[in-house]
Amino acid sequence: MSESLRESLDLSLFWEYRFILFKGLSMSLGVFACAAALALAGGLVAALMRVSRYRALRWTGTVHVEVSRNSPDYIMVVWVHFVLPLLLGALIGKRLEFNPFVSALIALGFVYSGYFAETFRAGIEAVPRGQIEAGRGLGMSERLIMWRLILPQVVRRMLPESVNQFISLFKATSIVSLIAVPDLMYQVSMVSAQEMRPLPLYTGAAVTYFAVVCGASYLLQRLSGRWRAKVFA
Amino acid sequence: MGSAPSIRVIDLHKKFAALEVLKGVSFDVQRGTVLSMIGASGSGKSTLLRCINHLETPTSGDVLIEGQSLCYRETPSGRQGLRERRAGRPRSLAEINRIRRDLGMVFQQFNLWPHMTALENVMEAPRHVRGMGRKEALEAGRTALRRVHLLEKADVYPARLSGGQQQRVAIARALAMSPKVMLFDEATSSLDPELTDEVLAVMRDLARDGTTMIVVTHEMAFAREVSDHVMFLHNGLIEEQGTPMQVFDQPGSERLRQFLNKSQRQR
Repeated sequence: MSESLRESLDLSLFWEYRFILFKGLSMSLGVFACAAALALAGGLVAALMRVSRYRALRWTGTVHVEVSRNSPDYIMVVWVHFVLPLLLGALIGKRLEFNPFVSALIALGFVYSGYFAETFRAGIEAVPRGQIEAGRGLGMSERLIMWRLILPQVVRRMLPESVNQFISLFKATSIVSLIAVPDLMYQVSMVSAQEMRPLPLYTGAAVTYFAVVCGASYLLQRLSGRWRAKVFA
Repeated sequence: MGSAPSIRVIDLHKKFAALEVLKGVSFDVQRGTVLSMIGASGSGKSTLLRCINHLETPTSGDVLIEGQSLCYRETPSGRQGLRERRAGRPRSLAEINRIRRDLGMVFQQFNLWPHMTALENVMEAPRHVRGMGRKEALEAGRTALRRVHLLEKADVYPARLSGGQQQRVAIARALAMSPKVMLFDEATSSLDPELTDEVLAVMRDLARDGTTMIVVTHEMAFAREVSDHVMFLHNGLIEEQGTPMQVFDQPGSERLRQFLNKSQRQR
């Protein structure tokens, strides 16, 4: 093995800085959790708009989905952090500046809300029409039908697919260091600037991301599988 | 209102784009009686049933449920003819929902909600539409399940029930709302022959208890046995109607005779 390869795979440097890197990882997880919550909420709203009776709402939902899904998250993060405050500032006539954490949430939440909206919508449309008619026949209102009959099934149906989207979202959080959110990658670059040995740190970061994603998705799949089995035999 | 029919259908028309499925159907169903609708597929009998609880919006005409118009708001000036009623404003969705509570519908495909147990399926509408408390809805649900002899399956999810059991839960779900009229849309058509009997038995019990029922069915023997009145639909019109004896034993029209022959041969 060449000297440089051995050095790249040596995790002792990563271990040495574990406390500061762990702090970065918790920031990554924090960004992920908040952005996921935002993306789920936004996705649900957009999906409900897309299946609405009113054309204007359907149209708004479609525009939201198309714009958000088709923006690269990298560009979105930069744009939200640097351009959006100027734009909003010009609108209300005040100087605005976003906290990097907030910018990261808005950007990632927005992009991923488009994906979740499509997953929600597919789930809503997969509920057989007869079940909805059964609700109507009993005098249930459209709202009651949505919240009591459709959405509880949607959540169960979309779980496997949303695991994939949660994974993508978590991996996408690695770009927020771009606007100086102190996440894992940000700490990695701080340490490597000091030690001048970036490669072992990147190896360590890769292993960390892999371990987190693998462990979490395994747990989620197991829990949701048991929950779904009862209903969709 | 003592003598008002439970359901009165007045000159009902239904068009799907250019296709006219119902071409002016009128009839009454008296309280406590069973009306069966027979006819070939495409004759309009399912559409007629679905118009009665407004799952399909009639193109024109009206349905009165215990004297109350399903389609139009009553004008304050009291009794009015059809022409004036047609001019009345259509009912809002909320009003239609309120009227629907009193009509129990049973579908060919059962349409149970898979994420709820049998009991939860049955409790859902009493709890959230009638606004009953949990205890009261639980009692209503258990009573309804007992009537279809499935109380022991209360905590089972639909996926673990046979087709016949699912349909009986669906009947219980409608019964739990204490409807004034039960509507059955080919309730046994998607069941294997060995499972139809348990569903027909439940329907027979309901008829015997004096439930007002409208039954769309292909089960001629059943229709003959439980009905007070039988209607034969053809091409969106009532071709012939009468007591089961009249319709099945002395069919007047050639079409009805052919239809009865054909359904006999299929048995």
